[in-house]
Amino acid sequence: MTVSQLGKSEIPIDGRLRLVGAFIVVAFALFVFRLFQLQIVEGETLRTRSEQNSVRTIRLEAPRGDILDREGRVLATTRPAYELQVIPSGLSERKTTFAVLAQLLDADPALLEDRVGVRKGAERFQPVTLIDDLDFDRLAKVETHRYALPGVVTDVQPRRHYVEGAMAAHLMGLIGEIGRDQLERRDREGYRPGDIIGQAGLEARLESHLRGRAGGRNVVVDVAGREVEVLDEVAAVPGGKVVLALDRDLQREAEAAFLDVPDGEPAKMGAAVAMDVRTGEVLVMLSLPSYDPNAFAGGIDVETWNALTDDEWDPLQNRAIQNRYPPGSTHKPIVAAALLADGIVTPETRVFCPGYFRHGRRTYRCWKREGHGYVDIHQALKQSCDVYFYTNGVKLGIDRLAYYARAFGLGHRTGIRLASEAPGLVPSTEWKKRKKGEVWYPGETVSASIGQGYNLYTPLQLAVAYAALANGGKVLRPRLLLRLEARDGTLLEEFSPEVRGEVPISPEHLAVVRRGLAAVVEEPGGTGYRARVPGVRVAGKTGTAQVVGTEHTEGMEEEEIAIRRRDHAWFGAFAPVDAPEIAVGVFVEHGLHGASSAAPVAQRILARYFEKKAEIGEAVQVSESGWGG
Amino acid sequence: MTLLSIDRRSFQNFDWLLLFLTLLLVGIGLVNLFSATQAGTEGGLPSEFRRQLVALALASIALIAALLFDYRRTERMAMPFYLATLLLCASTLIFAPVVRGSRSWLLWGPLSLQPAELAKVGLVLALARHFQRNPASEIRRLRDLLVPGLIVAAPAGIIVAQGDMGVALLTVLIAATFLPFVRIPARAWAMVAAAAVASLVGLWKFAFKDYHRDRILQVLDPSRDPLASGYQAIQSKIAIGSGGLFGKPYMEGTQTQLQFLPTQHSDFIFSVLGEEWGFVGCVVVLGLYLGLLLWGLVIASNSKDGFGAMLAVGVVGMLFWPVAINVAMVLGLAPVIGVPLPLLSYGGSQLLANMMALGLLLNVSMRRYMF
Repeated sequence: MTVSQLGKSEIPIDGRLRLVGAFIVVAFALFVFRLFQLQIVEGETLRTRSEQNSVRTIRLEAPRGDILDREGRVLATTRPAYELQVIPSGLSERKTTFAVLAQLLDADPALLEDRVGVRKGAERFQPVTLIDDLDFDRLAKVETHRYALPGVVTDVQPRRHYVEGAMAAHLMGLIGEIGRDQLERRDREGYRPGDIIGQAGLEARLESHLRGRAGGRNVVVDVAGREVEVLDEVAAVPGGKVVLALDRDLQREAEAAFLDVPDGEPAKMGAAVAMDVRTGEVLVMLSLPSYDPNAFAGGIDVETWNALTDDEWDPLQNRAIQNRYPPGSTHKPIVAAALLADGIVTPETRVFCPGYFRHGRRTYRCWKREGHGYVDIHQALKQSCDVYFYTNGVKLGIDRLAYYARAFGLGHRTGIRLASEAPGLVPSTEWKKRKKGEVWYPGETVSASIGQGYNLYTPLQLAVAYAALANGGKVLRPRLLLRLEARDGTLLEEFSPEVRGEVPISPEHLAVVRRGLAAVVEEPGGTGYRARVPGVRVAGKTGTAQVVGTEHTEGMEEEEIAIRRRDHAWFGAFAPVDAPEIAVGVFVEHGLHGASSAAPVAQRILARYFEKKAEIGEAVQVSESGWGG
Repeated sequence: MTLLSIDRRSFQNFDWLLLFLTLLLVGIGLVNLFSATQAGTEGGLPSEFRRQLVALALASIALIAALLFDYRRTERMAMPFYLATLLLCASTLIFAPVVRGSRSWLLWGPLSLQPAELAKVGLVLALARHFQRNPASEIRRLRDLLVPGLIVAAPAGIIVAQGDMGVALLTVLIAATFLPFVRIPARAWAMVAAAAVASLVGLWKFAFKDYHRDRILQVLDPSRDPLASGYQAIQSKIAIGSGGLFGKPYMEGTQTQLQFLPTQHSDFIFSVLGEEWGFVGCVVVLGLYLGLLLWGLVIASNSKDGFGAMLAVGVVGMLFWPVAINVAMVLGLAPVIGVPLPLLSYGGSQLLANMMALGLLLNVSMRRYMF
């Protein structure tokens, strides 16, 4: 034993080292064997393959999943798009080919030829796209004349197709090529440059469900890029289906109501939302002006994009959730409920309206100059008497008002799970101090109690608040989706109603407000008579929000006022009064009057809703009697 | 013992064979890398090649530094070095940008460093030190492996968090190189295996989300995504196979020069060798690696103390596993995992770490008679 064996005395280390050495030798022997196999045995074959190389990977795009309405009608799907391509190296009779092609496509041959130009080197084998979405007729023509068109090929790619075009465009959103920052963030989900990804609306929100998984095919191609052999293939997995709560019929009706205007008048802009007050299901979500999302499906061209972004009316904006506006008188039912709940008024309390209200040194006018006389809360809602709300609003105070407004879901996001939802604004003394560094002036409470001033709501928020008035005080999360399904229809996920809060107001008090709102539509002298639906009791409230101070428009005829300066029009409604099912919020941008501009839109949505319900009812009755007979 | 202990005796015992093998591999690596990187460039020295030359200069300094001091002094530095590499590794989680799905690179001006490579050296040092103090031959119970287990888990965990599964796996394998030297009965190993399988199944079923599973399946079966790794595997096979017995002329391999291999200068460098130098070239390089590794085991055997022996074993593990995984991957025997080929692949961090490790091996070897 030598000195040096101190540290490792009785270790059988050498034996173990030999074991490790043997392991290493075996591994290397395996590698040499494999090298022999590849380089000597298969060497010739693989050498040939490298010469006629080579392997190309062809991406097999996964078709994006369908988006359906609540009754299973397709809103967005994926269709084949045919690309017409030319492979320059294959153009054996260039002149004839372009002449024939031009005739078939009804195009100028020189123009087509210019697009291909002169290609050199490897570029000669790369296909040049002439038309990226060939319609079926022209495709058929080209296909039947293939014999006369050497070098011309067609390629098919899945392309997003929005069946209803601009209708519900904002809800569908947009797809587009993935951006660099998105690529970094979503690296692990297997995105590649050039991939199409949902960029807005439901397309973005449901990206991972709709997208599916791209497949691929490794093929051996010859020097001209022709497929020689398929090595392996992984099929694309199509994206899943989405069933929305949206009702296509109601959505169409709402759109038509906005767009049907007498000749010579500008088309209405704005937003409409209809919601089931029991479940929060969003039956209608409309925003106008709109855009055609199909323009984005194949990569949008610069002119169209610029036209959309430069448009002064922002067609890409979803007015139902992204824009916020002063609510005007549609705010009054909320104020009324607050007044009752805090005991500032009872249903019997009366206020005398002389047509104006004095507070401090200022005078606030009622919209009706000659005054409403004595009004109680029912009359005040029905006739939209400003003085009643001025008088009692000041007693309630801004902070209590804010407390109740927030309880109705106003002033914060509804939680609809779409990106860029605006929170709206409910002012309070604390808010003003924080944001403006100023104290709250009591005079501001006067304006706030009729919905003028700082308050800003989105049309969706209005619908949620009215739904809460209707359903006995439950603030629901607006729900866009009924369920997610796999491509083959198997249920993946089902969504259920979600109550986000209850308003702290007794059922009796809410009933008083509901009766007042029913009177608005039903009784003579109510401002919402244009929302009446035969056979159904409707409750609602009009609203007009000033855009510029009255001094700018004093004495002008309505038609003379520039569109930009015209007041906004609102209408909030629900029906049937006794057992509410649906709430509607309509906003017409620069629509002047809630009663004449917004109420008819709500009326058409409600009428269509109950008409459909009656049809289904009849159908059910028929089938039931069928059983009996 | 003097501080700088290159005395006459250790100089006489200098391990010229080890140095020769190392330099030969590095030299072949440069020749091969030049061909791989100049593809598609317009003459002149390709920028990646130039970067590699700079890295080689730094790595040589590291090699010399690692052999200057008596390795028994190095032992005292083992833990601080280990902890420093850990810290460096952890800092990537905060400072490193995401590059191809992982946060592995610290960037500092024109320099970039992959701390995980250095962490491997730190790991080998720390484990060698541990097994010096707790001789492997005395380890008979599983619980004695708790501390070494933690020593591995720290860097491996951080590297997993970086998103670099390949290098994390490598770290664990390097540590596993020490296992043949402990005396734990077979029965205990069976228990470990059972527990590992159970926890893996549990994780898979309950803890992992779909995309986790996807990513793992992707690693296990690259044909799930033929667009990336499958394509590389096929191109790599064609490149190597077409090299035949003697290879195509240097710088004229079509697969390489036409850049059919997307990462031919880093992970797939061995296919470039296969295409341009053929079976003969590959066998020579594999032979050099084999010689280096077996010589490393001889050094372990000749070493007169536990630390030296374990250090040598660790360095052998540190070189063997990446060589084995990389070559297996390139030859289509293993799934495509991003592991570079030591000394041959482009990449300054791996060159630096491996040269430093070889410096330590030289150190152990030249001081084998110094007692």
